[in-house]
Amino acid sequence: MTRSLQFGLTFWLCALCLTLGTGNALAKSPKKKTKRATPVMTSPAPKDGVAEARLIEIYRLIGQSDTQAALQKSEQLVKDFPTFALAQLVHGDLLMARTRPLQSFGDVPPEQLKDGSGMLKELKSESQLRLKALRERPPAGSVPAEFLQLSPRNKHAIAVDASRARLYLFENRNNGLALVADYYISVGKLGLEKKAEGDQRTPLGVYFITSQLDPKTLKDFYGSGALPINYPNVLDLKRGKTGGGIWLHGTPPGQFSRPPLASDGCVVVANPDLEHIIRTVEIRSTPVLIAQNLNWVAPHSLQPPTHEFTAHLNAWLKAKSSGSMTELARFYAPDFNNSGKTLADWLPTLRQEVAAAQGRPLEIKDLSLLHWKDTADTMVVTFGEVAAGQRTGATKRQYWSRQGNQWKIFYEGVIG
Amino acid sequence: MHLTSGAKASKSTPSATMRASIKPCTTPRGVPVISPNPTDLPMMFARSAVSKTLRMLAFAGACTVLVCHADEYTDVSQLLRANKFPEAMAKAESYLATKPADPQMRFLKGVIQRNLGKQAEAITTFTKLTEDYPELPEPYNNLAVLYAGQGQYDKARVALEMAIRTNPSYATAHENIGDVYARLASQAYNKALQLDSGNVAVPPKLALIRELFKPNLANPRPTTTAPVSTAASAAASSPAPTITAPTSKPASAPTAAPVKSVTPAASTSAPASKPAPVEGDAVKAAEAAVQAWAQAWSDKDMTAYLGAYSPDFDTPGKQPRSAWEKDRTDRIVGKSHISVKLSELSTKVSGDEATVKFRQAYKADSLSVSSRKTLLLKKHANQWLIVRESTGN
Repeated sequence: MTRSLQFGLTFWLCALCLTLGTGNALAKSPKKKTKRATPVMTSPAPKDGVAEARLIEIYRLIGQSDTQAALQKSEQLVKDFPTFALAQLVHGDLLMARTRPLQSFGDVPPEQLKDGSGMLKELKSESQLRLKALRERPPAGSVPAEFLQLSPRNKHAIAVDASRARLYLFENRNNGLALVADYYISVGKLGLEKKAEGDQRTPLGVYFITSQLDPKTLKDFYGSGALPINYPNVLDLKRGKTGGGIWLHGTPPGQFSRPPLASDGCVVVANPDLEHIIRTVEIRSTPVLIAQNLNWVAPHSLQPPTHEFTAHLNAWLKAKSSGSMTELARFYAPDFNNSGKTLADWLPTLRQEVAAAQGRPLEIKDLSLLHWKDTADTMVVTFGEVAAGQRTGATKRQYWSRQGNQWKIFYEGVIG
Repeated sequence: MHLTSGAKASKSTPSATMRASIKPCTTPRGVPVISPNPTDLPMMFARSAVSKTLRMLAFAGACTVLVCHADEYTDVSQLLRANKFPEAMAKAESYLATKPADPQMRFLKGVIQRNLGKQAEAITTFTKLTEDYPELPEPYNNLAVLYAGQGQYDKARVALEMAIRTNPSYATAHENIGDVYARLASQAYNKALQLDSGNVAVPPKLALIRELFKPNLANPRPTTTAPVSTAASAAASSPAPTITAPTSKPASAPTAAPVKSVTPAASTSAPASKPAPVEGDAVKAAEAAVQAWAQAWSDKDMTAYLGAYSPDFDTPGKQPRSAWEKDRTDRIVGKSHISVKLSELSTKVSGDEATVKFRQAYKADSLSVSSRKTLLLKKHANQWLIVRESTGN
């Protein structure tokens, strides 16, 4: 008996416990801490992140060989979250360890496992990814490099790190971006890099939340709601990608969380977590970055004014202010495309805009720069274009692409 | 589950005699000298925090009861509790000089040795005690604590098993709780793998449940309180055995085996009805129609391809049939090479409607896309024709 717990449980946990044992991993986010040892059943909807925090607490107790306390907590956890399959699995292990030595995490007897083995594998993977995200925390205060500059209008930002099955929610404060919460997520059954309709992959890139769908109008399958994003974006369309209906959405009634690779391309978040996101973020102005790996950097290393792109943007603004169409046209890529309008179709629009400014210099307000690098180098630029003396102007969005040491605009349009 | 045999409990065990001898003031079944709380025995797991979780049995239980000739033990125990180990040892040694075989004082001596950091000597003391009084669980328990402290978990386990075996009741309770834990674990695993998620529409999961509970379904037993010995075998496979308390009988009646009755939990999992042969044919016919459609597409045979669609076909974007046909023709005929291969077909037929889901591997020129697709077909004049086409599930 002693041996079974000794070697059985610590075997599957040792890696995590040593790291988590320091207690730093979760201490960061006060949301994730449960003050209540045994939450009251009558409590309202569970808070975001609570179920995972309680699961990790159980892992930690197992790591400390306090299996009795771990079992008590797992019993309470599965009572409060009966559809949290991973919690049920750990609870099963803790019970099973009282009867025989455990060989591995999720030591379901073969005669019971049968064709549940696929699911068991998924639960193991979910466990590993949750732990990976908690072990490999972003350095304190760091931000994804893709968020080169956010405007005060971007009150929040979302970044998805698929390699850790994690969604990070940021608040854009006066002193910069602050990570306020992060959650386990699921992506497409066949992984990432969506290219075509029905390919069951999740797109990679920078997107925006376009709307919010009322759960009452949705099937139960989508849980507590959905936030569609603008896949395919301009860059995706340029690359001939197809499909659509990529949402951040909740989980069905019978599944507290879904396996890491589960959706048809959507990003799936547990309902309490999604509810928190829905309550928090603003539609249309919240960027959603989806990457294989996030590139975390210190915010001060992102110096938008000195970024080489900024010189190009300023030069474009100067050209537009000057009213010289020849100068201005140089900033536009030959493959420019606005919903089918080619550069030749677009130049008259530009000419009109220049004429309307009547020689008043133009200014950029509320600039946001989202920098997406894959095989190409793309800048998604959003700003208010305001003529001197005016108080407001159109909100513009441009997609720039690096071509050698030049940056060219391949999309431009008015949003909002 | 294992039932306690009444036979063994009937005779006065050496252990009980022992306790009587060291607590002359109490009745033979009185307050035990050493707390034999069985929960201390099986619940011992630890690595770094061995001393925290493995409990050493140390003190003379409720000492206040031992007033008569137990002064010596009380004194030693109090010194122990006050952490005055050398003094306690001196007292124990002087007592043992006159009564070298006294098990209670030897036991206390072992505890003192352990507290003085003399692990090896403590092990010797407890080992000798287990040899002289193999019926006592407490020395085995303390041996286990010492072995576990040295990382000798194999020896610790053996010692704990011996402790449990000293009393057949412990052993049975221990085995029983093991069975209960196993049953609870099995329930948790079922929930983890969603084998009992209430989603009774999924046949493989149903099959699993049936497999698991088969013995009961095949041969349900009526609830009974009569002593049915075969109930024990049913218990092993019952998902939720209801155990009525053993009928309390004097321990002196060896024939009175405790009685357990088992109520098999009523399982609602009805066997999945096998599709009728006619339906099987319909499935085959619908799948054949879908394969023919994929073949026509691969062959760029527009007549056959478009012919696979019903006149009622729900065109994407509600465009006119003619516009859709033109669009499809342009897209298909324009390619130099097309290959459409289907896999993972799953088909549901309901009346003259069939839903066929599959994975479609589409290759055209340099493009290669694998996607999920669902076709809804309707039977028109004995022909399965597509009425709706959608990607994803």
